[in-house]
Amino acid sequence: MFPTPSTSHVDYDQVYEPSEDSFLFLDLLQEERSFIQERFSDSSKLGIPTVLELGLGSGIITTFFHNYILPQALFLGTDVNPHACKTALETSRANNGTRYFDVLRTNIWDGLRPNTVDVLLFNPPYVPADNLGSYESSIKSDDWLDFALLGGEDGMQVTKIVLDQLDFVMRDRGVAYILFCFRNKPEEVAKAMTDRGWSVKKIGERKIRWEILSIWRFSR
Amino acid sequence: MKLLTANFVQCSVKACSATPKCFPLHFDQQTADVPLELAHEDVDFSPEFIYNILPRIDWPALLITARELGNNMLPETTPEIENPNAPENEQILRDLHTLLLETQIIQGSMRCENCNHIYFIRDSIPNFLLPGHLVQ
Repeated sequence: MFPTPSTSHVDYDQVYEPSEDSFLFLDLLQEERSFIQERFSDSSKLGIPTVLELGLGSGIITTFFHNYILPQALFLGTDVNPHACKTALETSRANNGTRYFDVLRTNIWDGLRPNTVDVLLFNPPYVPADNLGSYESSIKSDDWLDFALLGGEDGMQVTKIVLDQLDFVMRDRGVAYILFCFRNKPEEVAKAMTDRGWSVKKIGERKIRWEILSIWRFSR
Repeated sequence: MKLLTANFVQCSVKACSATPKCFPLHFDQQTADVPLELAHEDVDFSPEFIYNILPRIDWPALLITARELGNNMLPETTPEIENPNAPENEQILRDLHTLLLETQIIQGSMRCENCNHIYFIRDSIPNFLLPGHLVQ
């Protein structure tokens, strides 16, 4: 077991606190370590891989990834929450840092060039809710915690955009890790993505109280 | 934001993303409110790391970015390097390391050549959120 990155500096009034979903992500990435390292072992022709995390929050997943899974990579991350953007950079630095980690403040991956990403890490706002917060109201209130959690209809409003744009953003050898809860209907999503030519695999799941969380791998 | 990251971003206005002018964003016009500020930040040098970044770079765009930020030292095309550990390659890889990884854009602005929208960088973090009327 690799240790969980230190997040003692994080202000959880402003940034999503690492919870069971985050820890499931870390545990399952650890099981994916040899798959990932093998897939990206040769950087000489295709270049060094780019790892993108959407919705960085505290930055714990990216930090874990650069410390233990794939140190030789270019790391990019996004968040709409300005506090999360700063915090994620601090978390990386507080845990020995990496050569290359930049954060974009944006909605999902707006502003990123197409065909850029080799590894996508996404612990989405997956909780079903009547409505999805808008970032403009979060900007006014400076309250971001609901935004990190609530995913609109079926909890899929943000994840659906990501899946629909995956083809444009990922490079040919790209692999995406996305977390779902049971009410997101991941089996249906897996079937739809398989029909669209993706190779889809559930890499693990965990029952947490009344919820079943699973992480799925989408690769070309 | 590291200088290299300018090579991975473009205008986030949907209508611009269909035009070649959405990339690269330009540093040629800065504002008085957020004047351009660059800083040097030490990063461990690894010849292989830089060597493996080379295939990822859009070189013509990098030339534009570097020139707009005051660096005219880059060769016109991607350097052809066979062995990153050969002594004759050390200088060019060190120069690229300094430019791409150690040059931090602390603050400033980037402009889309197509729509002229300005993206600000503050505390080294570029902001690609669009005002409501630009979101389609």
